[in-house]
Amino acid sequence: METLITLVQIGIGAALINNFVLYYFVGICPFLGVSRRIDMAFGMGCAVTFVISIAAALSWTFTYFILRPGAPLPAWVWETVGGTSGNVDLSVLSYIMYIFVIAGSVQFVEMYVRKFFPALYKSFGVFLPLITTNCAILFACLEIMKHLQDPTRLWGLHEALTLAVGGGLGFTLAIVLMAGIREELDMCDVPKPLRGPGIALIVAGIMAMAFMGFAGVDRGIEAALSTLLK
Amino acid sequence: MLNTVTMLLAAGVLGLLAVVVACVLGWANRTFHVKVDPKVLAILEALPGANCGGCGFVGCGEYAEAVAAGGTDVTLCAPGGQSCAGQLAEIMGVAVEQTFPYRAVVHCAARTDQRLGRTDYLGEPTCVAANLVAGVQGCTYGCLGLGDCVAACPYDAIHIVDGLATVDYDKCVGCKACARACPRNIITMVPFKAERMLVVACSNKDFGPQVKAVCEVGCIGCKACSKHAEAMKMEGHLSVIDYDAYESEDQFAKALEKCPRESMIFVGKPRPEHLAAVAAEELPERIEADFKTTVDDTEWRG
Repeated sequence: METLITLVQIGIGAALINNFVLYYFVGICPFLGVSRRIDMAFGMGCAVTFVISIAAALSWTFTYFILRPGAPLPAWVWETVGGTSGNVDLSVLSYIMYIFVIAGSVQFVEMYVRKFFPALYKSFGVFLPLITTNCAILFACLEIMKHLQDPTRLWGLHEALTLAVGGGLGFTLAIVLMAGIREELDMCDVPKPLRGPGIALIVAGIMAMAFMGFAGVDRGIEAALSTLLK
Repeated sequence: MLNTVTMLLAAGVLGLLAVVVACVLGWANRTFHVKVDPKVLAILEALPGANCGGCGFVGCGEYAEAVAAGGTDVTLCAPGGQSCAGQLAEIMGVAVEQTFPYRAVVHCAARTDQRLGRTDYLGEPTCVAANLVAGVQGCTYGCLGLGDCVAACPYDAIHIVDGLATVDYDKCVGCKACARACPRNIITMVPFKAERMLVVACSNKDFGPQVKAVCEVGCIGCKACSKHAEAMKMEGHLSVIDYDAYESEDQFAKALEKCPRESMIFVGKPRPEHLAAVAAEELPERIEADFKTTVDDTEWRG
């Protein structure tokens, strides 16, 4: 039960309360660039959710087994060469490793989809190269890394994946809402100096303020779930 | 000792990862290779790449695939014109008939002061919005003059002059963007068989008195032209020109003479003798844009 509540909290937290785009302001480039039409925005959101999940799974694996302080692989090497005191810490490699792994896996997935699912490739294949090393995705990896530092409270793969999927869904929600507003804006008489990026950024700011209303929702959900599951 | 091992391990991990990823991607590239028809690439090369959608496909890529698959006409690309159609025909190994460039024609000739029954319209300054409001102007067929077509044109070839959308035929490439944007559907594509073409610049399908009540120049449906020119026929109370039967403007001389209104006009490039005839008259100077002081208002794309 504890686990379920934690997972729900992580998921809701990543999707709504600490929305990647509207709370942390990462992933702004696709958020502004591809939010002109709802269908395109939805495609982009799906692509981000997909890539972020793959990236989270891979980066969790690498961090857990190789990069974190006290990881099994460096410890084994250290013992093999005869070291006794002290730990090998490879967390300095995290950034380069994440970028490398994400870019490689997205490239692989793109080729695979192009070969075996041409229709799918046509509808969202174009977005994949755009987001390979997008900051929202790197941010999810770093967030996962943050929770793999303390050996007494390590995140499992399920927690990492929940964060990633929640974050991806939150991104989709934000970009689709934004696209809906911008489609309506096309019909409006926006003052000339504000047209284009100006009004888009103002809209994004107001949306961010609206999303601040979700702050504190997690505690309520926790209370409700714990009484419900008792 | 600890530092040395850390450094060696870091280098080893990255090196190993690089080798593994390179191998996997190299293998994937070969195994998942998708064969692209060389014809598609050649056609894509020959197309202008404007992605204007004038051919009816989503972009140049889709059109290239459709042509390469066969069964699609090679002459659909308006910006590419005759030379592009020729290249496509060569690639596909088919013969190409002579095609005429299609150009946009606005079927309305009324300037603001010639349109009657106008009211002040203070809503959204777009034709789409104004078209929803009853009584903006008397004529429910005519140009609203708020410039949706101007905004839609990617070639800067249509402008609002005295409240009427006017095509600049030096710039128009016939991509149909304006025709799609117009909420009243008064812009159509006409095959330009000559430098200048005769068109009926009116879309009003009502009969005489109703037209006269709302417009000073519109077609009243008197049938005078269709009696004197075979290539003209009546659609309701509006005369239209059958461009399949259009050979030259001379066949319409009689009809033009009989027309009691000013709804048949020539569009396109004027002939030299007409230019000479008005050379003595004082014409307003053409104002060229000063790019040093004009703010670039092209849309920002992120």
